[in-house]
Amino acid sequence: MTTHETESTSFLYPFIESEETDAKSLLDDLAASARDKAAESARLQSASLDEYSDALTAAGTEMADRFRRGGRLYTFGNGGSSTDAATLASLFSRPAHGRPVAAWSLAADEAVVTALGNDVGFELIFKRQIIAHARDRDVAIALSTSGNSEDLLTAITEAKQRGLLTIGFAGHDGGRMAVAEDLDFCFTVHSQSIHRIQESHAMLGYRLWSVAQQHMARPLNGAHT
Amino acid sequence: MTITARPGGSFVDADLSADLAAAALDLARRFHDGATLWVISPQWEPHAHHVAVEFVHPVIMGKRALPSVALVEPDPVAQARVASQPGDLLLAVASADEPAVVDAMRRAQAWGVLTLWIGSGPRPPAGAANHILWIDSDDPMVPATGTFVLMYHLLWELTHVCFEHPGLLKPSPDECAEDVCVTCGDEGRVGEVVLEPADTTPQALVRTAKGEEWVDVSMLGDLKPNDLVLIHAGAAITTLESDQQEVTR
Repeated sequence: MTTHETESTSFLYPFIESEETDAKSLLDDLAASARDKAAESARLQSASLDEYSDALTAAGTEMADRFRRGGRLYTFGNGGSSTDAATLASLFSRPAHGRPVAAWSLAADEAVVTALGNDVGFELIFKRQIIAHARDRDVAIALSTSGNSEDLLTAITEAKQRGLLTIGFAGHDGGRMAVAEDLDFCFTVHSQSIHRIQESHAMLGYRLWSVAQQHMARPLNGAHT
Repeated sequence: MTITARPGGSFVDADLSADLAAAALDLARRFHDGATLWVISPQWEPHAHHVAVEFVHPVIMGKRALPSVALVEPDPVAQARVASQPGDLLLAVASADEPAVVDAMRRAQAWGVLTLWIGSGPRPPAGAANHILWIDSDDPMVPATGTFVLMYHLLWELTHVCFEHPGLLKPSPDECAEDVCVTCGDEGRVGEVVLEPADTTPQALVRTAKGEEWVDVSMLGDLKPNDLVLIHAGAAITTLESDQQEVTR
């Protein structure tokens, strides 16, 4: 019988036996972990959308009004959040469908970022660009999983003073962003995981885009009846 | 218009989670052997940057920094060709019909590079990459809803779990059973022409998964640098067409 054969020879090759078993059990564990984390990601995305449903509609509508007046969108963040900011800007500027609007990430140009970082300090890399680019009909969206990034907060304050619509995406307890008076809207994703927060930021940004698109598709004189 | 996108996590079923697990173990093994992870995403460059920063500067303190670089120049194939060395890793975040990625994935065999492909929509043909991590959704907005972000976050998280199992970081025992294996068996190997033959000899310098070698190309007509050839017993026996494979569902 097979069972007996395995039993009778396995002691000769203990390492082969155990490593094969371990690799399979590791792969099973990894797959189960992936499903758990994915389920948490989906739960958090849905919970965040539910929690901020009204505010997302209000913010997206206000963004649409500004785009209709020729407003532009600036997005910014650090590290992985800077790449998510760039993805969000691309969603607005070259969506797979719908109307494109002017939008870009303030971390995208390495000449500008390194010039500012080197000459005036890292905490001013976004603020100085807001000073250079911003008009009062524009929109600023800052993404920070901690809500505490100094370079983002100074840029938000500058943007608010210049009449921009200011939106923050934060995480954990929202940090300084949660209590920043210069933010018109702050969407804090309540999680301790930077990864899960970033995944929810993307979904919240997508909702803002969807709302803005819907409003830009309506006739102006019928929009407020 | 869809105002609510499907959460990315809901796509991670038994099959996809198993694909992610297998990919993570291969990633960890290659990193363990000194690999660099090259990342391309011609349609969505920020995803390439996000993968690179994820591995280079982990969000969890104490996790080791791993070499990963986003290749975002206008010709990512040329960039990946010169950057990659045998044993390295190439990850693409792209749809199945992205020409530069289709091309890079084919050539990776000649470069000796293990390939991973994250995307959505119609799938690439089976075998187009060593690991195909796919979201089966026709929604064109998937790349902007955090779903790809979730995929490479999971890949990073699982890869670091593998490092806690050093005994399992040796090459998988069934590696030589795969049809992409070039170190054993009598199968043809894919090579990429580095130097065309000089006038007097029928030998071309060809890059394969094992490194560079001079190969008899007298059976073939004119060859140019970067042409793909199939090598058998020291000779190039045919040129591989550069026509893209058809995308299948």
